[in-house]
Amino acid sequence: MRGSFLQVSTEHRGLVFDPRTKLLLLITMSTFVLGGIAGEKLSFLLPCFCVLPFVLLLTARKYKTAALYFILYTGSYLLNLLATPHLTGFPAFLVLGCAGILTRFMPSMMLAVYVVSSMTVSEFTAAMQRLHLSEKIIIPMSVMFRFFPTVADEFSSINAAMKMRGIAFGGKNAGKMLEYRLIPLMTCTVKIGDELSAAALTRGLGGTVKRTNVCKIGFHAQDVIAILFCAGCFGFLILDVAGVL
Amino acid sequence: MKTEKLKGKDLINVGIFSAIYFVIIMAIAMLGYIPIMMPLLCVIGPVLCGIPFMLFMTKVKKFGMILIMSIIMGIMMMLTGMGWYALVVGAVSGLIAELIYRGGKYASSKLAIVSYGVFSTWMWGNFLPLFFNPDGYFSTRQSFGQEYIESLTNLMPMWMCPTLLVTCFVFGVVGGLLGKALLKKHFKKAGIA
Repeated sequence: MRGSFLQVSTEHRGLVFDPRTKLLLLITMSTFVLGGIAGEKLSFLLPCFCVLPFVLLLTARKYKTAALYFILYTGSYLLNLLATPHLTGFPAFLVLGCAGILTRFMPSMMLAVYVVSSMTVSEFTAAMQRLHLSEKIIIPMSVMFRFFPTVADEFSSINAAMKMRGIAFGGKNAGKMLEYRLIPLMTCTVKIGDELSAAALTRGLGGTVKRTNVCKIGFHAQDVIAILFCAGCFGFLILDVAGVL
Repeated sequence: MKTEKLKGKDLINVGIFSAIYFVIIMAIAMLGYIPIMMPLLCVIGPVLCGIPFMLFMTKVKKFGMILIMSIIMGIMMMLTGMGWYALVVGAVSGLIAELIYRGGKYASSKLAIVSYGVFSTWMWGNFLPLFFNPDGYFSTRQSFGQEYIESLTNLMPMWMCPTLLVTCFVFGVVGGLLGKALLKKHFKKAGIA
């Protein structure tokens, strides 16, 4: 379980974007697709946003994830398109609910997967420092991103262990499901956290001096394109709000 | 001790507990696609998250840790497309929660429970667009189908707005009590809390 797909390897990374560009893409994506600020007039932007994670995953050489995304997205989109006129009542509710959620969340989720899986913690820290954010926000945020894969990993292991003891849906101890999962999860994450802070302290985190960072981050041609794309989207939005379009 | 500055270890603790808290919140939020569960999120969320949060409270000894966690939750909500409401509400409720817990010199378990109740109200921020901008909110959720929108509108009349705020607080306190009980049962023995 150790080499989970969210973990970053620094080799074979393909096209590398600046972490700040990735965050900007993420924010743009969530504003337009999840937040759905784009109204009727801007709906022509939505296909671009749906293709974006696919392209980015390809540039990062995550072919499997990209293919999975493609299949799931087109599948649910077609389902939505073909099944909607024929269904009413509860089945419609169910189908539309599932397909709607998938088409709505998949693009942003996949972009998030791309961002987390292609950005190392030190790159993230370097980018945040360039943005002159306070250490008080940077450290917890970077620990958090580093921790999501760990939490998921530990949880699936605990899940397997508890299933063996019969503490699961349909098992004889279903009532204890919650307690017997959350408590071990927290116990081991706290232990891991203690180790992590010891490791971070030996690396000089929380010292009085300014820390240096060896990551080379900077804007390149690909970043410029991505930033122009985001700026264009927000530009359209402003024009739309102002009533020009 | 009280006014000491935050150190690396404290900030790492904030990060770890934010991660656990956020994972649980996201898992619960997925239930929101069943319309009847939407208002119940204000019940389930605070209760379940009470367990990690009460453990977090035992690590809080300096000013700012609760506030930072609250702000991070707001930022994460913004990144996941819930809008900026939770960030604003979270900054205020986090500060109040911080001041309440500080009133007991970061040691009183009763104040910790009240403080968690106040902290929980940031979730209420996620519901604000439903009341103040329903047209905009639902225009983004057309893909969920008309039935979803109708049932949700019926579930969320205007009087639900203050009710949800109170619900968050009350069930935050319940979650705090639950967390406290489990803390006593498990973590004291293990020497973690």
